[in-house]
Amino acid sequence: MKPTIELLRDVLDHDIVDVDGVRCGIVDDIELDDGPGGALVVAALLVGPGAWQARLPALLGVVSAWLFGRARTRVPWSEVAELTQSVKLARRAGELGLGKLDRKAATWLNRLPGA
Amino acid sequence: MGKLAEVFLGILTAMGGFVEIGELTFTLNGGRRFEYALLWVVLLGTVGIMVYCEMAGRIAAVKHQAVFSLIRERDGFSAGLLTLVAASIVNLLTCAAEVGGVALLWQLLSGWPYRGLLLAALFFFVIVVWSTPFKWIERIFGLGGLLMIVFIVAAVGLDPDWRSVGTGFVPSLPQGAGGRDTLMYAFYGVALLSSIMLPYETYFYASGGIEDRWKPADVTLNRVVVIIGFTLGATLAAALVVVGAEFFKPHSIDPALPGTAALAAGDMFASVGLYVALLGMFFAFAGAAIETALSAAYNLAQFAGWPWGLDKRPREAPRFALAWIVVFVLATGVVMTGIDPVSVVEYSIVFSVVVLPLSYFPVLAVARDRGIMGPYANGPMANVLGWFYLALITVAALAAIPLFVATHAGQG
Repeated sequence: MKPTIELLRDVLDHDIVDVDGVRCGIVDDIELDDGPGGALVVAALLVGPGAWQARLPALLGVVSAWLFGRARTRVPWSEVAELTQSVKLARRAGELGLGKLDRKAATWLNRLPGA
Repeated sequence: MGKLAEVFLGILTAMGGFVEIGELTFTLNGGRRFEYALLWVVLLGTVGIMVYCEMAGRIAAVKHQAVFSLIRERDGFSAGLLTLVAASIVNLLTCAAEVGGVALLWQLLSGWPYRGLLLAALFFFVIVVWSTPFKWIERIFGLGGLLMIVFIVAAVGLDPDWRSVGTGFVPSLPQGAGGRDTLMYAFYGVALLSSIMLPYETYFYASGGIEDRWKPADVTLNRVVVIIGFTLGATLAAALVVVGAEFFKPHSIDPALPGTAALAAGDMFASVGLYVALLGMFFAFAGAAIETALSAAYNLAQFAGWPWGLDKRPREAPRFALAWIVVFVLATGVVMTGIDPVSVVEYSIVFSVVVLPLSYFPVLAVARDRGIMGPYANGPMANVLGWFYLALITVAALAAIPLFVATHAGQG
């Protein structure tokens, strides 16, 4: 028998780390799809402020979109290598479109001594 | 040094919570106003913060998970976000007060203009945190804060009536209290409890344990660090209550400015005492400023899943580095407006009690869960104390704001 995964307990709101062990986000939402025989299957993990609106009360969702934007990254479930305390991905963050802001901020900080 | 040096994490955390600028004035004023009648709150709060920091440190050692990751996982997204916003405001306001406190101390020593010294303090903090590894921040500011022991020596030297001091550890209303006085006493009690159990101590402590790469084998070390650090902090807080009652009350001095506290040590040990006390206060305030700025950055990074930690170069954890820099800049901006740092921290202490239940519930939920913690889960004692303090801080959170309004922020 396959081990059971409780999506709300074991996946949602958990850290995501890439194949090099670098933190690259949190599972902000989970996309479900119709599977064979009408069963629901996990299609992707949604990461980024664009995934927050659906989880917030209506007004806060609007404020959040205004403050943080609607950008979100979709990580196909097939890219998940392992579930431990964190969700481990099979590839590097950059290849899956994660950690973009960190790379941008790093370029900026790199101009400072000791960075 | 080796493992023994880990104790500085406990000392720095406790100093940043127990003798930062807000608690320094709360304890001195509490002693001046109610003599020893608030000492039992110091004891009650100390056991509470020990219980929760021990649990948070144990989770950090066993699961390498910090408090805001737990908050997000256990409280859910909306309640987690609410806690993040409230905790960030508390961190920012406390950091502002500490930056202001450091500038006030420098002004006392140099006579230079306050606003210029605020900018110098901002520069100082950014350079120190940018260039110093976490271990050395712990050691420098933990060790420097130990100079505050001069207040314990001063409290003993004031030769208080030890019977009265002892009676202060038994919960009771101050003599002759009634009506308005009881409300003031309740306000001081709740504010003191909140200032001892400040949530950022737990955030910082657990993140510090992860920075120090604690492993499951370090759970005993964690317990020792918590007991030594917080016992020292509590003894200092109790000594400040004694100094308030035995020095400031008879001299009718209102210790409203942080530098005033040093007078007690100066009175007893002349200029050496004065300078040791001022230097100790500098390290305690600076340690608290760093603790709150880093806490804010840890919280944000852990909530949003960014890389974090001072063990990484800023380019490896860029948003985390930017976050603590922005907190220092905003905090300096708050005190640049000319607002009194002590009143800033009094607001932040009262509002932080509202964040406490939301911060501490997930810690208790995970620490007691055998499925997650295995053999390192809470024993019956930690569970009973955990639930007791959760109930207590919930009651305190409900009472904090009405008391704040009814007593005009403790002004009577």
